[in-house]
Amino acid sequence: MAELDDHVVAPARLKLMTVLTAVSEAEFATVRAALAVSDSVLSKHITALEEVDYVRRRKGLHRGRRTTWVSLTPRGRKALSEHVAALRALIDGVD
Amino acid sequence: MLSSMESTPRRPTAAEAAAALRDAEASRAGLAHAVATPSGFFTSMSVAIAVQIAATAAAFGVGAPWLVVAGVAVFGVVAGVQLARFRRRNGVWLGGFAGRVVLGTGTAASLSYALALAAAIWAAYGDRSALVALSSVAGGAAYALAGRRWMRAYRDEPDVHGRGESVAWLALLAVVAVAGLVLLLLDA
Repeated sequence: MAELDDHVVAPARLKLMTVLTAVSEAEFATVRAALAVSDSVLSKHITALEEVDYVRRRKGLHRGRRTTWVSLTPRGRKALSEHVAALRALIDGVD
Repeated sequence: MLSSMESTPRRPTAAEAAAALRDAEASRAGLAHAVATPSGFFTSMSVAIAVQIAATAAAFGVGAPWLVVAGVAVFGVVAGVQLARFRRRNGVWLGGFAGRVVLGTGTAASLSYALALAAAIWAAYGDRSALVALSSVAGGAAYALAGRRWMRAYRDEPDVHGRGESVAWLALLAVVAVAGLVLLLLDA
């Protein structure tokens, strides 16, 4: 049975990783808008997930400005899938 | 600020888990529904494909290989500009969009393209210019329709359709397709 992943338990991180499953790569401001969080909160979550190789970020350009692009790694995708399975099992266990 | 729950993970209750999942999926759906093509996208892709098909057919008809290169160049420029506009407009990169909608790797787009190209080449050999034009326009229109269909599928299931093929795989497909056309022309 899949286990909850401590790195993804925080709802904001679950939301960040779930949003990233919809894209190959997203610009920082786009993710921030989708999550409705501040720059610093998003940056902290990205850093934490980057440390366990769940997300990757790179510097790039968007509308002529230097910006950050964020994507989910294969390891992050697998971790999210297992975490979501564990959440569903937890929900089903009560229902 | 991060909440204390986020800095010290604990096992969520079933209700919290359900709420967190619902919220995460709603955010993903919101992002996917906000993704849109730039203005004139499908029209320009349709025209670019029609020009590329017509140029390739004409190359076979009149024995002018440079027309294949010209057709591919027109398509390449339009595709590149439209992908850059899409990325700038949405702040995201979708491998699925680049592959399925722009490069036509989906079943409907590639089948309709192949049929239209074959019909146009056949018409060009028979010196039927009107049929070449008709096949080219039909090929472009079918390509655009397949793209619109992909956009709907993406919005319904963004996690299934968003990533698509890798850039390396798409580049390899493009090289193989152009090389195949050149070889066909050299044999003709």
